[in-house]
Amino acid sequence: MSTLKATLSGSVRYRGREGQLSFILHRLTGLGTLLFLTIHILDTATVYFAPNLYDHAIAIYQSTPFMIGEIFLVFSVLFHGANGLRIALFDLFPRFWREPSQRKAFYITLTLAILLWLPAAFIMGRNLIINNFMGG
Amino acid sequence: MTTSIQAERKVEVPKNYETWAWLLMRYSAVLLIPLVWIHVLINDVLVGVHAIDLTYVQQRWALMGWRVYDILLLSFTFAHGVNGLRTVTRDYLHKLSHRKWLDWGLLAFWFLVSLIGAVAIIAGVRMP
Repeated sequence: MSTLKATLSGSVRYRGREGQLSFILHRLTGLGTLLFLTIHILDTATVYFAPNLYDHAIAIYQSTPFMIGEIFLVFSVLFHGANGLRIALFDLFPRFWREPSQRKAFYITLTLAILLWLPAAFIMGRNLIINNFMGG
Repeated sequence: MTTSIQAERKVEVPKNYETWAWLLMRYSAVLLIPLVWIHVLINDVLVGVHAIDLTYVQQRWALMGWRVYDILLLSFTFAHGVNGLRTVTRDYLHKLSHRKWLDWGLLAFWFLVSLIGAVAIIAGVRMP
């Protein structure tokens, strides 16, 4: 517990710039996606184990807080994938592992994730407003 | 600020359990980018959660291809996620005995949830 606290406060204080930021984002998006994934596997499994419950589970996903969460989930999946690809690519070409190219790569990764996310977030946000605030 | 290019250095990596876990993470990751992104694009963005119900799942799984896709998705995402969680815990758990217990716990958790998911995909939708 004390190590966790030290890490959390250290993560805020440590000035590791882009590298630190990308590390934290990779962890948070990974852990967040895993949390959702676990729930998602179990709720989908109700189609066989308890079909009567499936509509209730979907109704929860259709609620406004969950749909907002879903928009962040899509960002998580996009950033985690793009950032993972960056790491894999750098490992494949070790000459990239230099401070300037690492910094640049972080911004390229972040930009790519945001660019892919914006149209998705727009469509999902539109669905949210149409279905939950304008009566479908 | 000085930047130096360090020479490449070949290191012998032992073929142990951690090496295989690392390779699983890397290879599954490459596979997961198309698998997860396409799944999210279709179901979260294009179809949308308001159009999803039992009938939708049943129609999707009527195609064997989507069942195979979902089995692959389930196996690789969840193994990648749980092993990633295991890696994260390494930063907070330092005692070897604690790590061992946690690993067994995560293995059981991974197995149980994967099994539940796999049974549902293979058995399919039961219309009430």
